[in-house]
Amino acid sequence: MTLALGLLAWEGISKFFLPVIFPGPLELLDRIFAIYSDPASYRVVGQSLSRIFVGFIISMLAGTAFGILMGLKRDVEIFFDSWIMVLLTVPAVCWAFLSVLWFGISETAPILTIVLIVFPFVVMNIWEGTKALENDLIEMGRVYKADRPLMLRKVLIPQLTPYIFSSLRIALSLSWKIALVAEAFGAGSGVGQELINWFQDTRVDMMLAWGASFMIVMVLIDRLVFRVWERRVFAWRPQFAT
Amino acid sequence: MMSAPTMSEQTARPGASILTAVAVRNLTKTFAAPGAAGRFTVLDAITLSVGEGEFVSIVGPSGCGKSTLLNIIAGIESHESGAVMVGSRAGHAGSQARIGYVFQSPRLLNWLTVQANIEFVLEAQNIPRPRWQELVAKHLALVGLAGQEPNYPLNLSGGMQQRLAIARALAIEPDVLLMDEPFSHLDAITARKMRFDLLDILAKARTTILFVTHDLSEAVFLSDRVYMMSIRPARIFKEVRVDVSRPRRPEDSRILDLEKTLVREFFGALEAK
Repeated sequence: MTLALGLLAWEGISKFFLPVIFPGPLELLDRIFAIYSDPASYRVVGQSLSRIFVGFIISMLAGTAFGILMGLKRDVEIFFDSWIMVLLTVPAVCWAFLSVLWFGISETAPILTIVLIVFPFVVMNIWEGTKALENDLIEMGRVYKADRPLMLRKVLIPQLTPYIFSSLRIALSLSWKIALVAEAFGAGSGVGQELINWFQDTRVDMMLAWGASFMIVMVLIDRLVFRVWERRVFAWRPQFAT
Repeated sequence: MMSAPTMSEQTARPGASILTAVAVRNLTKTFAAPGAAGRFTVLDAITLSVGEGEFVSIVGPSGCGKSTLLNIIAGIESHESGAVMVGSRAGHAGSQARIGYVFQSPRLLNWLTVQANIEFVLEAQNIPRPRWQELVAKHLALVGLAGQEPNYPLNLSGGMQQRLAIARALAIEPDVLLMDEPFSHLDAITARKMRFDLLDILAKARTTILFVTHDLSEAVFLSDRVYMMSIRPARIFKEVRVDVSRPRRPEDSRILDLEKTLVREFFGALEAK
Protein backbone atom coordinates (compact mmCIF):
# COMPACT_ATOMS: atom_id res chain seq x y z
CA MET A 1 0.00 0.00 0.00
CA THR A 2 2.66 2.49 1.06
CA LEU A 3 4.76 1.12 -1.78
CA ALA A 4 1.97 1.86 -4.27
CA LEU A 5 1.55 5.41 -2.96
CA GLY A 6 5.30 5.94 -3.09
CA LEU A 7 5.42 4.79 -6.70
CA LEU A 8 2.50 7.06 -7.57
CA ALA A 9 4.17 10.09 -5.96
CA TRP A 10 7.43 9.25 -7.72
CA GLU A 11 5.68 9.05 -11.08
CA GLY A 12 3.90 12.34 -10.36
CA ILE A 13 7.05 14.24 -9.41
CA SER A 14 9.01 12.83 -12.32
CA LYS A 15 6.56 14.53 -14.71
CA PHE A 16 8.17 17.88 -13.86
CA PHE A 17 11.64 16.75 -14.93
CA LEU A 18 13.37 15.37 -17.95
CA PRO A 19 13.73 11.56 -17.80
CA VAL A 20 17.52 11.84 -18.11
CA ILE A 21 17.60 13.87 -14.84
CA PHE A 22 14.79 12.31 -12.79
CA PRO A 23 13.06 9.38 -14.48
CA GLY A 24 9.72 7.97 -13.25
CA PRO A 25 9.18 4.31 -12.43
CA LEU A 26 7.62 3.54 -15.80
CA GLU A 27 10.52 5.08 -17.69
CA LEU A 28 12.92 3.25 -15.44
CA LEU A 29 11.17 -0.04 -16.20
CA ASP A 30 11.43 0.77 -19.87
CA ARG A 31 15.21 1.41 -19.59
CA ILE A 32 15.74 -1.78 -17.60
CA PHE A 33 13.88 -3.67 -20.28
CA ALA A 34 16.05 -2.05 -22.93
CA ILE A 35 19.24 -2.99 -21.09
CA TYR A 36 18.34 -6.62 -20.70
CA SER A 37 17.12 -7.10 -24.26
CA ASP A 38 20.76 -6.60 -25.26
CA PRO A 39 22.65 -9.87 -24.75
CA ALA A 40 25.92 -7.97 -24.11
CA SER A 41 24.42 -6.65 -20.85
CA TYR A 42 24.39 -10.11 -19.34
CA ARG A 43 28.14 -10.34 -19.81
CA VAL A 44 28.53 -7.01 -17.99
CA VAL A 45 26.44 -8.23 -15.07
CA GLY A 46 28.30 -11.53 -15.09
CA GLN A 47 31.66 -9.77 -14.81
CA SER A 48 30.50 -7.79 -11.80
CA LEU A 49 28.90 -10.82 -10.16
CA SER A 50 32.03 -12.93 -10.52
CA ARG A 51 34.17 -10.18 -8.92
CA ILE A 52 31.66 -9.75 -6.11
CA PHE A 53 31.58 -13.45 -5.39
CA VAL A 54 35.32 -13.92 -5.42
CA GLY A 55 35.79 -10.94 -3.08
CA PHE A 56 32.86 -11.97 -0.93
CA ILE A 57 34.00 -15.57 -0.54
CA ILE A 58 37.60 -14.65 0.23
CA SER A 59 36.38 -12.13 2.83
CA MET A 60 33.98 -14.60 4.43
CA LEU A 61 36.42 -17.50 4.66
CA ALA A 62 39.41 -15.46 5.81
CA GLY A 63 37.30 -13.25 8.07
CA THR A 64 35.58 -16.18 9.79
CA ALA A 65 38.81 -18.08 10.36
CA PHE A 66 40.58 -14.97 11.60
CA GLY A 67 37.66 -13.91 13.78
CA ILE A 68 37.58 -17.31 15.49
CA LEU A 69 41.33 -17.21 15.98
CA MET A 70 41.14 -13.74 17.53
CA GLY A 71 38.30 -14.81 19.77
CA LEU A 72 40.02 -17.92 21.05
CA LYS A 73 43.67 -16.85 21.25
CA ARG A 74 44.28 -14.01 23.61
CA ASP A 75 47.69 -13.03 22.16
CA VAL A 76 46.38 -12.96 18.58
CA GLU A 77 43.55 -10.75 19.80
CA ILE A 78 45.89 -8.30 21.52
CA PHE A 79 48.20 -8.14 18.51
CA PHE A 80 45.57 -7.53 15.82
CA ASP A 81 42.96 -5.60 17.80
CA SER A 82 44.07 -2.15 16.66
CA TRP A 83 44.98 -3.30 13.13
CA ILE A 84 41.42 -4.39 12.53
CA MET A 85 40.24 -0.98 13.75
CA VAL A 86 42.66 0.71 11.37
CA LEU A 87 41.37 -1.35 8.44
CA LEU A 88 37.81 -0.47 9.40
CA THR A 89 38.42 3.27 9.50
CA VAL A 90 40.12 3.69 6.11
CA PRO A 91 37.50 5.15 3.72
CA ALA A 92 36.37 2.82 0.95
CA VAL A 93 37.39 5.31 -1.74
CA CYS A 94 41.00 5.26 -0.51
CA TRP A 95 41.19 1.51 -0.97
CA ALA A 96 39.63 1.79 -4.41
CA PHE A 97 42.21 4.36 -5.50
CA LEU A 98 45.11 2.47 -3.93
CA SER A 99 44.09 -0.80 -5.54
CA VAL A 100 43.99 0.82 -8.97
CA LEU A 101 47.39 2.43 -8.41
CA TRP A 102 48.88 -0.85 -7.26
CA PHE A 103 47.25 -3.21 -9.73
CA GLY A 104 46.06 -0.96 -12.57
CA ILE A 105 42.98 -1.74 -14.61
CA SER A 106 42.62 -5.40 -13.74
CA GLU A 107 40.52 -8.08 -12.11
CA THR A 108 42.66 -7.84 -8.98
CA ALA A 109 41.92 -4.20 -8.19
CA PRO A 110 38.15 -4.46 -7.55
CA ILE A 111 38.50 -7.82 -5.77
CA LEU A 112 41.23 -6.47 -3.49
CA THR A 113 39.11 -3.40 -2.72
CA ILE A 114 36.20 -5.64 -1.69
CA VAL A 115 38.37 -7.84 0.50
CA LEU A 116 40.10 -4.93 2.23
CA ILE A 117 36.76 -3.43 3.22
CA VAL A 118 34.60 -6.49 3.87
CA PHE A 119 37.18 -8.69 5.61
CA PRO A 120 37.51 -6.53 8.78
CA PHE A 121 33.72 -6.33 9.11
CA VAL A 122 33.47 -10.10 9.05
CA VAL A 123 36.34 -10.42 11.54
CA MET A 124 34.64 -7.97 13.93
CA ASN A 125 31.34 -9.80 13.75
CA ILE A 126 32.70 -13.32 14.25
CA TRP A 127 35.08 -12.11 16.94
CA GLU A 128 32.08 -10.64 18.76
CA GLY A 129 30.38 -14.01 18.40
CA THR A 130 33.22 -15.88 20.09
CA LYS A 131 32.71 -13.71 23.16
CA ALA A 132 29.19 -15.13 23.47
CA LEU A 133 30.34 -18.77 23.39
CA GLU A 134 28.91 -20.80 26.22
CA ASN A 135 31.58 -21.92 28.61
CA ASP A 136 29.30 -24.66 29.97
CA LEU A 137 29.32 -26.46 26.66
CA ILE A 138 33.06 -26.10 26.20
CA GLU A 139 33.50 -27.61 29.65
CA MET A 140 31.17 -30.46 28.69
CA GLY A 141 33.30 -31.14 25.63
CA ARG A 142 36.47 -31.13 27.72
CA VAL A 143 35.02 -33.55 30.28
CA TYR A 144 34.32 -36.01 27.47
CA LYS A 145 37.78 -35.34 26.01
CA ALA A 146 36.62 -34.02 22.64
CA ASP A 147 39.66 -33.06 20.57
CA ARG A 148 40.09 -29.69 18.92
CA PRO A 149 38.61 -30.45 15.48
CA LEU A 150 35.56 -32.12 17.05
CA MET A 151 35.05 -29.15 19.40
CA LEU A 152 35.24 -26.73 16.47
CA ARG A 153 32.82 -28.71 14.33
CA LYS A 154 30.20 -29.61 16.89
CA VAL A 155 30.47 -27.09 19.71
CA LEU A 156 32.07 -23.82 18.58
CA ILE A 157 31.05 -23.24 14.96
CA PRO A 158 27.37 -24.12 15.54
CA GLN A 159 27.25 -21.45 18.26
CA LEU A 160 28.77 -18.97 15.82
CA THR A 161 26.26 -19.75 13.07
CA PRO A 162 23.96 -16.79 13.83
CA TYR A 163 26.99 -14.50 13.58
CA ILE A 164 28.13 -16.20 10.39
CA PHE A 165 24.72 -15.59 8.82
CA SER A 166 24.64 -11.94 9.82
CA SER A 167 28.16 -11.65 8.40
CA LEU A 168 27.01 -13.23 5.14
CA ARG A 169 24.30 -10.59 4.82
CA ILE A 170 26.52 -7.65 5.67
CA ALA A 171 29.34 -9.00 3.52
CA LEU A 172 27.16 -9.45 0.46
CA SER A 173 25.51 -6.05 0.66
CA LEU A 174 28.85 -4.35 1.27
CA SER A 175 30.56 -6.35 -1.47
CA TRP A 176 28.24 -5.34 -4.25
CA LYS A 177 28.22 -1.66 -3.33
CA ILE A 178 31.99 -1.59 -3.13
CA ALA A 179 32.31 -3.59 -6.32
CA LEU A 180 30.44 -0.91 -8.27
CA VAL A 181 32.62 1.85 -6.84
CA ALA A 182 35.79 -0.12 -7.53
CA GLU A 183 34.70 -0.91 -11.07
CA ALA A 184 33.92 2.71 -11.71
CA PHE A 185 37.49 3.58 -10.77
CA GLY A 186 39.33 0.92 -12.59
CA ALA A 187 38.15 -2.33 -13.93
CA GLY A 188 37.37 -1.31 -17.48
CA SER A 189 34.23 -3.40 -17.39
CA GLY A 190 31.27 -4.42 -15.27
CA VAL A 191 28.19 -2.62 -13.97
CA GLY A 192 30.33 0.02 -12.24
CA GLN A 193 31.93 0.88 -15.55
CA GLU A 194 28.46 1.22 -17.13
CA LEU A 195 27.49 3.61 -14.35
CA ILE A 196 30.50 5.84 -14.93
CA ASN A 197 29.93 5.81 -18.70
CA TRP A 198 26.33 6.90 -18.35
CA PHE A 199 27.35 9.41 -15.70
CA GLN A 200 29.63 11.08 -18.22
CA ASP A 201 26.67 11.32 -20.61
CA THR A 202 24.52 12.69 -17.73
CA ARG A 203 22.00 9.93 -18.20
CA VAL A 204 20.50 9.49 -14.71
CA ASP A 205 17.81 7.23 -16.14
CA MET A 206 20.36 4.72 -17.44
CA MET A 207 22.43 4.89 -14.26
CA LEU A 208 19.38 4.17 -12.15
CA ALA A 209 18.29 1.40 -14.48
CA TRP A 210 21.65 -0.34 -14.14
CA GLY A 211 21.85 0.23 -10.40
CA ALA A 212 18.27 -0.77 -9.63
CA SER A 213 18.31 -3.93 -11.70
CA PHE A 214 21.57 -5.00 -10.10
CA MET A 215 20.13 -4.29 -6.66
CA ILE A 216 17.19 -6.56 -7.43
CA VAL A 217 19.58 -9.41 -8.26
CA MET A 218 21.34 -8.94 -4.90
CA VAL A 219 18.10 -8.84 -2.91
CA LEU A 220 16.98 -12.02 -4.66
CA ILE A 221 20.23 -13.75 -3.69
CA ASP A 222 19.67 -12.72 -0.08
CA ARG A 223 16.06 -13.90 -0.06
CA LEU A 224 16.37 -17.06 -2.11
CA VAL A 225 19.75 -18.31 -0.98
CA PHE A 226 20.55 -17.00 2.50
CA ARG A 227 17.05 -17.02 3.98
CA VAL A 228 16.29 -20.53 2.77
CA TRP A 229 19.67 -21.79 3.88
CA GLU A 230 19.22 -20.16 7.29
CA ARG A 231 15.84 -21.82 7.78
CA ARG A 232 17.38 -25.20 7.10
CA VAL A 233 20.39 -24.64 9.34
CA PHE A 234 18.21 -23.48 12.24
CA ALA A 235 15.67 -26.28 11.92
CA TRP A 236 16.61 -27.31 15.46
CA ARG A 237 15.08 -24.14 16.89
CA PRO A 238 11.44 -24.82 17.74
CA GLN A 239 10.27 -21.50 16.25
CA PHE A 240 11.87 -22.41 12.91
CA ALA A 241 10.30 -25.87 12.80
CA THR A 242 7.67 -26.32 10.15
CA MET B 1 46.12 -50.63 42.37
CA MET B 2 44.77 -49.06 45.50
CA SER B 3 43.22 -51.10 48.22
CA ALA B 4 40.39 -49.69 50.26
CA PRO B 5 40.24 -51.46 53.59
CA THR B 6 37.21 -49.54 54.75
CA MET B 7 35.25 -50.91 51.85
CA SER B 8 35.76 -54.59 52.52
CA GLU B 9 33.33 -54.79 55.39
CA GLN B 10 30.55 -53.04 53.58
CA THR B 11 27.61 -54.68 51.95
CA ALA B 12 26.94 -52.30 49.13
CA ARG B 13 24.52 -52.68 46.26
CA PRO B 14 24.39 -56.14 44.77
CA GLY B 15 27.05 -56.25 42.12
CA ALA B 16 29.28 -53.85 43.99
CA SER B 17 32.75 -55.18 44.53
CA ILE B 18 35.57 -54.14 46.77
CA LEU B 19 37.52 -52.76 43.82
CA THR B 20 38.01 -49.04 43.97
CA ALA B 21 36.66 -46.99 41.07
CA VAL B 22 37.58 -43.58 42.45
CA ALA B 23 40.14 -42.82 45.10
CA VAL B 24 40.93 -39.32 46.32
CA ARG B 25 43.70 -38.92 48.86
CA ASN B 26 44.46 -35.74 50.75
CA LEU B 27 43.31 -33.50 47.95
CA THR B 28 43.86 -29.79 48.49
CA LYS B 29 42.87 -26.99 46.18
CA THR B 30 43.34 -23.26 46.65
CA PHE B 31 42.29 -20.25 44.64
CA ALA B 32 43.89 -16.85 44.52
CA ALA B 33 41.86 -14.67 46.85
CA PRO B 34 40.12 -12.00 44.78
CA GLY B 35 41.44 -8.52 45.42
CA ALA B 36 43.69 -9.57 48.28
CA ALA B 37 47.09 -11.14 48.59
CA GLY B 38 47.32 -14.81 49.41
CA ARG B 39 45.10 -17.73 48.57
CA PHE B 40 42.07 -19.30 50.14
CA THR B 41 41.48 -22.98 50.47
CA VAL B 42 38.60 -24.44 48.49
CA LEU B 43 39.19 -28.07 49.29
CA ASP B 44 41.08 -29.07 52.39
CA ALA B 45 42.67 -32.51 52.59
CA ILE B 46 39.75 -34.37 51.03
CA THR B 47 39.99 -38.14 51.18
CA LEU B 48 37.27 -40.37 49.79
CA SER B 49 36.76 -43.51 47.79
CA VAL B 50 34.06 -45.03 45.66
CA GLY B 51 33.94 -48.78 45.20
CA GLU B 52 33.13 -50.26 41.84
CA GLY B 53 29.37 -50.41 41.38
CA GLU B 54 28.80 -48.29 44.46
CA PHE B 55 26.55 -45.20 44.71
CA VAL B 56 28.28 -42.57 46.83
CA SER B 57 27.01 -39.06 47.54
CA ILE B 58 28.70 -35.96 48.79
CA VAL B 59 26.35 -33.61 50.61
CA GLY B 60 27.37 -30.07 51.34
CA PRO B 61 26.05 -26.52 51.33
CA SER B 62 26.13 -24.48 48.13
CA GLY B 63 29.52 -23.03 47.36
CA CYS B 64 31.41 -25.54 49.48
CA GLY B 65 33.48 -26.74 46.54
CA LYS B 66 31.60 -29.91 45.59
CA SER B 67 31.57 -29.06 41.90
CA THR B 68 35.24 -28.14 42.02
CA LEU B 69 35.93 -31.57 43.49
CA LEU B 70 34.03 -33.27 40.67
CA ASN B 71 35.85 -31.16 38.08
CA ILE B 72 39.19 -32.20 39.53
CA ILE B 73 38.16 -35.84 39.39
CA ALA B 74 37.00 -35.30 35.80
CA GLY B 75 40.42 -33.87 35.00
CA ILE B 76 39.34 -30.41 33.86
CA GLU B 77 40.60 -28.54 36.91
CA SER B 78 43.98 -28.62 38.56
CA HIS B 79 44.82 -29.16 42.21
CA GLU B 80 47.82 -28.35 44.39
CA SER B 81 48.43 -31.52 46.32
CA GLY B 82 47.02 -34.96 46.88
CA ALA B 83 46.22 -37.79 44.53
CA VAL B 84 43.23 -38.66 42.38
CA MET B 85 42.76 -42.07 40.83
CA VAL B 86 39.92 -43.08 38.60
CA GLY B 87 39.27 -46.52 37.18
CA SER B 88 40.60 -49.83 38.38
CA ARG B 89 39.72 -52.07 35.51
CA ALA B 90 42.70 -53.68 33.84
CA GLY B 91 43.91 -51.55 30.97
CA HIS B 92 42.41 -48.39 32.36
CA ALA B 93 45.18 -46.23 33.68
CA GLY B 94 44.14 -43.09 35.51
CA SER B 95 44.05 -40.59 32.65
CA GLN B 96 42.54 -43.15 30.29
CA ALA B 97 39.57 -43.74 32.54
CA ARG B 98 36.18 -43.11 30.99
CA ILE B 99 34.28 -40.51 32.94
CA GLY B 100 30.61 -39.74 32.43
CA TYR B 101 29.39 -36.42 33.74
CA VAL B 102 25.84 -35.20 34.29
CA PHE B 103 25.71 -31.51 35.07
CA GLN B 104 23.07 -29.40 36.81
CA SER B 105 21.71 -28.29 33.47
CA PRO B 106 21.65 -30.81 30.61
CA ARG B 107 24.37 -29.02 28.57
CA LEU B 108 23.17 -30.55 25.33
CA LEU B 109 24.22 -29.47 21.87
CA ASN B 110 20.85 -28.10 20.82
CA TRP B 111 21.77 -27.99 17.11
CA LEU B 112 22.34 -31.74 17.02
CA THR B 113 19.67 -34.42 17.09
CA VAL B 114 19.23 -36.62 20.14
CA GLN B 115 21.23 -39.32 18.37
CA ALA B 116 24.01 -36.95 17.31
CA ASN B 117 24.31 -35.63 20.87
CA ILE B 118 25.23 -39.11 22.05
CA GLU B 119 27.42 -39.73 19.03
CA PHE B 120 29.38 -36.60 19.95
CA VAL B 121 30.72 -38.21 23.14
CA LEU B 122 31.22 -41.56 21.43
CA GLU B 123 33.39 -39.83 18.85
CA ALA B 124 35.18 -37.83 21.55
CA GLN B 125 36.01 -41.05 23.38
CA ASN B 126 37.21 -42.79 20.21
CA ILE B 127 34.61 -45.52 20.46
CA PRO B 128 34.58 -47.40 17.14
CA ARG B 129 31.85 -46.21 14.78
CA PRO B 130 30.28 -49.65 14.15
CA ARG B 131 29.27 -49.77 17.83
CA TRP B 132 27.52 -46.36 17.82
CA GLN B 133 24.13 -47.49 16.57
CA GLU B 134 23.85 -50.15 19.25
CA LEU B 135 25.14 -47.95 22.09
CA VAL B 136 22.81 -45.08 21.20
CA ALA B 137 19.73 -47.29 20.91
CA LYS B 138 20.52 -49.21 24.08
CA HIS B 139 21.03 -46.17 26.30
CA LEU B 140 18.15 -44.17 24.89
CA ALA B 141 15.91 -47.13 25.67
CA LEU B 142 17.42 -47.35 29.14
CA VAL B 143 16.41 -43.77 30.01
CA GLY B 144 13.03 -44.06 28.31
CA LEU B 145 13.82 -42.03 25.20
CA ALA B 146 13.61 -44.82 22.64
CA GLY B 147 12.50 -43.52 19.26
CA GLN B 148 13.60 -39.93 19.97
CA GLU B 149 16.76 -40.29 17.87
CA PRO B 150 15.82 -37.80 15.11
CA ASN B 151 14.30 -35.23 17.48
CA TYR B 152 16.05 -32.06 18.62
CA PRO B 153 16.74 -31.36 22.33
CA LEU B 154 14.72 -28.14 22.46
CA ASN B 155 11.62 -30.14 21.55
CA LEU B 156 12.07 -32.23 24.70
CA SER B 157 10.85 -31.33 28.21
CA GLY B 158 13.37 -30.41 30.90
CA GLY B 159 13.14 -33.86 32.44
CA MET B 160 13.64 -35.54 29.08
CA GLN B 161 16.64 -33.34 28.35
CA GLN B 162 18.23 -34.43 31.60
CA ARG B 163 17.46 -38.06 30.71
CA LEU B 164 19.28 -37.53 27.45
CA ALA B 165 22.24 -36.12 29.39
CA ILE B 166 22.21 -39.30 31.49
CA ALA B 167 22.01 -41.50 28.40
CA ARG B 168 24.92 -39.56 26.90
CA ALA B 169 27.00 -40.14 30.04
CA LEU B 170 26.17 -43.85 30.20
CA ALA B 171 26.72 -44.46 26.50
CA ILE B 172 30.48 -44.28 26.86
CA GLU B 173 30.21 -47.09 29.45
CA PRO B 174 32.03 -44.99 32.04
CA ASP B 175 34.26 -46.23 34.84
CA VAL B 176 32.49 -43.70 36.98
CA LEU B 177 29.50 -41.45 36.47
CA LEU B 178 29.84 -38.06 38.12
CA MET B 179 26.56 -36.27 38.82
CA ASP B 180 26.50 -32.66 39.94
CA GLU B 181 23.08 -31.86 41.47
CA PRO B 182 21.46 -33.27 38.34
CA PHE B 183 17.87 -32.83 39.54
CA SER B 184 18.13 -29.43 41.21
CA HIS B 185 16.85 -27.59 38.13
CA LEU B 186 13.74 -29.77 37.81
CA ASP B 187 10.40 -29.30 39.55
CA ALA B 188 9.85 -31.43 42.66
CA ILE B 189 7.56 -33.97 41.00
CA THR B 190 9.80 -34.51 37.98
CA ALA B 191 12.85 -34.71 40.26
CA ARG B 192 11.18 -37.36 42.40
CA LYS B 193 10.32 -39.42 39.35
CA MET B 194 13.83 -38.99 38.02
CA ARG B 195 15.30 -40.36 41.25
CA PHE B 196 13.23 -43.53 41.01
CA ASP B 197 14.16 -43.88 37.37
CA LEU B 198 17.84 -43.30 38.08
CA LEU B 199 17.85 -46.22 40.50
CA ASP B 200 16.03 -48.37 37.92
CA ILE B 201 18.56 -47.40 35.27
CA LEU B 202 21.47 -48.17 37.55
CA ALA B 203 20.06 -51.55 38.50
CA LYS B 204 20.42 -52.39 34.81
CA ALA B 205 23.57 -50.47 33.92
CA ARG B 206 25.57 -51.28 37.09
CA THR B 207 27.47 -48.03 36.96
CA THR B 208 29.64 -46.55 39.68
CA ILE B 209 28.27 -43.18 40.77
CA LEU B 210 29.68 -40.22 42.59
CA PHE B 211 26.74 -37.91 43.22
CA VAL B 212 26.94 -34.39 44.56
CA THR B 213 23.95 -32.65 46.13
CA HIS B 214 22.89 -30.18 48.81
CA ASP B 215 19.75 -32.23 49.47
CA LEU B 216 20.31 -34.68 52.32
CA SER B 217 17.14 -36.69 51.76
CA GLU B 218 18.02 -37.13 48.11
CA ALA B 219 21.46 -38.39 49.10
CA VAL B 220 20.15 -40.82 51.70
CA PHE B 221 17.48 -42.20 49.40
CA LEU B 222 19.85 -42.82 46.51
CA SER B 223 23.17 -43.78 48.07
CA ASP B 224 25.03 -46.69 49.54
CA ARG B 225 27.27 -44.27 51.34
CA VAL B 226 27.14 -40.53 52.07
CA TYR B 227 29.98 -38.13 52.77
CA MET B 228 29.10 -34.89 54.50
CA MET B 229 31.11 -31.83 53.63
CA SER B 230 31.50 -28.55 55.53
CA ILE B 231 32.13 -25.11 54.10
CA ARG B 232 35.17 -22.89 54.73
CA PRO B 233 37.21 -24.90 55.07
CA ALA B 234 35.69 -27.57 52.86
CA ARG B 235 36.34 -30.80 54.69
CA ILE B 236 34.62 -34.12 54.86
CA PHE B 237 33.47 -34.35 58.44
CA LYS B 238 31.39 -37.49 58.37
CA GLU B 239 30.86 -40.66 56.38
CA VAL B 240 27.64 -42.66 56.76
CA ARG B 241 26.57 -45.96 55.31
CA VAL B 242 22.92 -46.31 54.28
CA ASP B 243 22.09 -49.88 55.16
CA VAL B 244 18.68 -50.11 53.59
CA SER B 245 18.00 -52.80 51.03
CA ARG B 246 16.87 -51.96 47.51
CA PRO B 247 14.45 -51.28 45.98
CA ARG B 248 13.78 -48.44 48.38
CA ARG B 249 10.88 -46.12 48.99
CA PRO B 250 11.66 -42.53 50.04
CA GLU B 251 8.99 -42.88 52.76
CA ASP B 252 10.65 -45.97 54.25
CA SER B 253 10.94 -45.34 58.00
CA ARG B 254 14.58 -46.47 58.12
CA ILE B 255 15.44 -43.89 55.47
CA LEU B 256 13.43 -41.17 57.18
CA ASP B 257 15.01 -41.95 60.56
CA LEU B 258 18.52 -41.85 59.17
CA GLU B 259 17.67 -38.64 57.38
CA LYS B 260 16.47 -37.02 60.64
CA THR B 261 19.62 -38.02 62.49
CA LEU B 262 21.82 -36.73 59.70
CA VAL B 263 19.96 -33.45 59.33
CA ARG B 264 20.49 -32.79 63.04
CA GLU B 265 24.17 -33.64 62.77
CA PHE B 266 24.70 -31.83 59.51
CA PHE B 267 23.24 -28.52 60.59
CA GLY B 268 24.70 -28.96 64.05
CA ALA B 269 28.14 -29.13 62.49
CA LEU B 270 27.51 -26.25 60.08
CA GLU B 271 26.01 -23.93 62.64
CA ALA B 272 28.57 -24.71 65.33
CA LYS B 273 30.99 -22.53 63.40
